[in-house]
Amino acid sequence: MRSIKALFTKQARDMFRNPAVLVMFIVFPAVAFIMTQLIAKSNDDIPNNMFVTMMAAIFAGMGLVTSSAAVIAEDIERKSLRFLIIAGVKPHQYLIGTGGFFLLAGAVTSVVFALIGDFTGTETLKFLTVMIAGSATSIILGAVIGMLSKNLQAATALSMPIAVIIGFTPMVASFSETVEKYAGILYTQQINVIVNDFSANFTHALMVIGMNIAVLLILFIVIYRKKGLKE
Amino acid sequence: MIQMNHIVKRFGGQTVLSDVTFTVKDKEIFGLLGPSGAGKTTIINILTNQLDADGGSHHTGAAMLDTGLMLDTDGLYVRLNCLENLNIFADIYGIPRKKSFEALKKVGLEDAAKKAVNVLSKGMRQRLALARAILHEPKVLFLDEPTSGLDPATARGIHNLIQGLCDNGATVFLTTHNMEEAIKLCNHVALLHRGKIIEQGIPAEICERHNAVKTVPDLEAVFIKLTGVELE
Repeated sequence: MRSIKALFTKQARDMFRNPAVLVMFIVFPAVAFIMTQLIAKSNDDIPNNMFVTMMAAIFAGMGLVTSSAAVIAEDIERKSLRFLIIAGVKPHQYLIGTGGFFLLAGAVTSVVFALIGDFTGTETLKFLTVMIAGSATSIILGAVIGMLSKNLQAATALSMPIAVIIGFTPMVASFSETVEKYAGILYTQQINVIVNDFSANFTHALMVIGMNIAVLLILFIVIYRKKGLKE
Repeated sequence: MIQMNHIVKRFGGQTVLSDVTFTVKDKEIFGLLGPSGAGKTTIINILTNQLDADGGSHHTGAAMLDTGLMLDTDGLYVRLNCLENLNIFADIYGIPRKKSFEALKKVGLEDAAKKAVNVLSKGMRQRLALARAILHEPKVLFLDEPTSGLDPATARGIHNLIQGLCDNGATVFLTTHNMEEAIKLCNHVALLHRGKIIEQGIPAEICERHNAVKTVPDLEAVFIKLTGVELE
């Protein structure tokens, strides 16, 4: 527990001094707010929450992947992870400690999205649940990418296309039934389905997200053990 | 007691360590000497389980948590300050945070406690990395080129600190290509050349064996005599 707390505190201090990561948590809700005020509220043809749900889904699917990958790749590049492992930090402690703060920051950002949006009580609850579950998945995916990368540059090169693919697949799926059929296994598709239609099957969405988390967790633990210390 | 028995390590088709055998007694300073590329860091990486050997056996006589490590790369969190860097590890080891400041004092960085790592000089970063290595008062300390690139005054300070740690019961394993440092600090040394131990023992005795004592024992002369290669 003390390792988790130490890494959580470290991540909190580090993030506020790392503008490249901090900006991800500010820019998405800021854009959603500006577009909602300037476009959605003055245009009757556009639903009031359109930009909120769009930016929220992109944030949960893309923003957190790249920032979590960047932080972990930096730990590998600077060999900080090596010292943590030698100090006895286990994979789950590293992930919960480092990712935990991202999840908290992601949850706070989701609350900001919910405040900008025009949701009812139940909708807000569903929105926050699916956003937090999606954020957790993105953080673990980012951690897997970070662990696979030798340095920050490689992590960015790998995480950007992956984030774009998983982030934009739901948009493509809305135009293609074939893509929609296969995209159902992706957590980003489930986030998109719920935030755009709160009457959709919520349990099914959470189950798919849960399965995504399980697969990525196994991947992370295997890679951490293999790559964390041995080059 | 640290032991390496007939260790072999290959990278690709190239053998980088060949039949490396040595013993480090408890509470002594052992120096592994050799030029860059001789295999010194590889030996530390194997001893600290960061690398698997392809043959032979080794043990350090201490659990990982009783081991302090200073590598060629410092692994510090550059946006955090010195104290914050040490506090992370104090929390992980479950020791009081006041030990962080004590460790900073030991390496002479108490005035830089609140300075971010990314504004520190190389020497200061090296001292901070050493402070992290000794923070939890480990029984065994691995130091990879601890004074490389430091000015003489800072290097002297680190020598005194290493000697003090040994006097307090720690076993210190250090690598260096600075022969003067080895003679001054080490109880025993091993000379490593192209992945092989070519000589080992007490520094003064090695020098005597190879007629390399003029006014003071000269390990560098021994190395050149044995290998024909000069140290950088």
